Amino acid sequence: MRLDRDTFREILDSLLRNRSRSLLTGFGVFWGVFMLMLLVGGGQGLKQLLEKNFDGFAQNTCIVYPEQTSKAYKGYQKGRWWGMTETDVDRVRAMVPELEIVTPIISRWGQTAVKGENTASGSMKGVTPEYVGVETPKIRYGRYINQMDLADEKKVCVIGKRIYEQLFPEGGDPTGQRIAISGIYYTVVGVDYNEGNMSVNGRATETISVPYTTMRKAYNFGKGIGLLCVTAKPGVEMSSVIPRIRSIIQRAHSISPDDNQAVQLINTQLIFGIVDNLFKGINFLIWLIGLGTLLAGAIGVSNIMMVSVRERTVEIGIRRAIGATPRQILGQIMSESVILTVVAGMMGIVVSVGILATVELAMTQDGVLKAAFQVPFSTAVTAALLLTVLGVLAGLMPAVRAMGIKPVDAMRDE
Amino acid sequence: MALIELKDINKTYQGAQPLHVLKGINLEIGRGEFVSIMGASGSGKSTLLNILGILDNYDTGEYILDGKLIKDLSEKQAADYRNRMIGFIFQSFNLIGFKTAVENVELPLYYQGVNRRKRHAMAMEYLDRLGLAQWASHYPNEMSGGQKQRVAIARALITSPRIILADEPTGALDSKTSVEVMNLLTKLNREDGMTIIVVTHESGVANEADKIIHISDGIIGKVEENVKHDNWNSALIK
Repeated sequence: MRLDRDTFREILDSLLRNRSRSLLTGFGVFWGVFMLMLLVGGGQGLKQLLEKNFDGFAQNTCIVYPEQTSKAYKGYQKGRWWGMTETDVDRVRAMVPELEIVTPIISRWGQTAVKGENTASGSMKGVTPEYVGVETPKIRYGRYINQMDLADEKKVCVIGKRIYEQLFPEGGDPTGQRIAISGIYYTVVGVDYNEGNMSVNGRATETISVPYTTMRKAYNFGKGIGLLCVTAKPGVEMSSVIPRIRSIIQRAHSISPDDNQAVQLINTQLIFGIVDNLFKGINFLIWLIGLGTLLAGAIGVSNIMMVSVRERTVEIGIRRAIGATPRQILGQIMSESVILTVVAGMMGIVVSVGILATVELAMTQDGVLKAAFQVPFSTAVTAALLLTVLGVLAGLMPAVRAMGIKPVDAMRDE
Repeated sequence: MALIELKDINKTYQGAQPLHVLKGINLEIGRGEFVSIMGASGSGKSTLLNILGILDNYDTGEYILDGKLIKDLSEKQAADYRNRMIGFIFQSFNLIGFKTAVENVELPLYYQGVNRRKRHAMAMEYLDRLGLAQWASHYPNEMSGGQKQRVAIARALITSPRIILADEPTGALDSKTSVEVMNLLTKLNREDGMTIIVVTHESGVANEADKIIHISDGIIGKVEENVKHDNWNSALIK
């Protein structure tokens, strides 16, 4: 078959002069692609929205904290309250080499920070510089707590976004300025803009982070620690080391080895895994539904083309009588099908991307995009290729039937 | 050598009851002849026309068209012969409804691969010759029967075929336009020397030809050399 502009115009003529037939045929494919793209883009956006909650949080973290014991052991009654100490940090670090970071946190809730006339409340957290490996700060101004702060027990702090906004409503770089918390003055060394919803002991936006050693001294924590945060080295499954961490701590504190309630471990890898699997599942469903709709559309095209070929018996017979070869007829019907599916499909892509862009616009606050509701370019290309293949397949049966029309049929079908 | 030679052509339609429609047809039609094939319906005249037009195959015998044996052609070859050698005119015009007059006339050239501009110019020329220039961009359903048949004739002529095959060309026309169409065919025969074969059951139409071949029950009966075809008009009007 020739594939020049002339052939193309002939095919286009057939499609455009039979507009309602073409529209009906194309709509199925349009709808299929439209739905598929909308679902894929929407799913992507929802996933991003959800992931936003975990923003800045290391995915292979485990948080260890004490609870009341639930079993009597070594002469201790059950229901005993116990606490972790700095020794536990050293123990776990020494005995579980698969861990990358082992760092304690101590915190106090409901603290009020004062700067001139402005106040802000939030939680106060004593951290080590290593903590950045667990909850990554987005430093807007200044820096995070460093080793020197820790060693010298410096009265410095890193403030969260909301605290910053409340204490420094005029904006600007607050580093070097001093704020008071429970009568102690701390110099602001950094502002953390992390807005993730997943954090340890209070939202990052409402947290004032100070050196662990400073806080220990200011509030008389002694050797006690609130929580222990650990992250696994790359390639290590957190769940594979958790039993060892638990038993080390159980042994050190005379807790029954069967008492799983006393030592609580939150494995974020597990949570991330669940979310990840959830979205894999949703994604699978999206493609299943989308492809199903698309396939239904293509079958629709095939069906309508079939009816249309029957309707056009006389036309095709005439074409054959005046010199069209069977191949030319085959080519024509196939091309009609391919052009119809591809054009309808492209329109589906364009309209769905348009709608996704509108959703994105609605999701944008203060010029910052919350989540990208977008179809990846590769998906669009795949969809386009898929359409062409579907077009060919949809056109195949009707085209073969059309090819079988003999010129005499044109005369019989009067 | 005759343009068309049929030697002992047989054709049977297979079915529950095989139908032997053509029983040993022998026929010669020379270049520039104007022949009509007459017969009642079911006589086999349409089958004969389909075989002549290479629209249908025959079972046994020989059909020699312009010195070439037409037998077991591939679909592509058959299509090519139809396109270049034969122009068809049908009772029901068989124009494509969604194409304008000029586009319908162009179509055979499209299948020859003639470019758009050239075939448009040629189609316009033929429409002009048939007095339809101002109807070029009209659709078939906007035209009268006579106009449609003239468009169909233009389409048949555009490839400069050797033969015009007309199947009941006046069957759907009133008597006045029938006369016009037949005059047109006569003119093509007289002035351009075109070979014309008309299948009809109307004796008035058949009388316009130089030679009238009667066919009944699949056998060629008498062949009349027509001497007085001036009577045709008066016969129809009467």
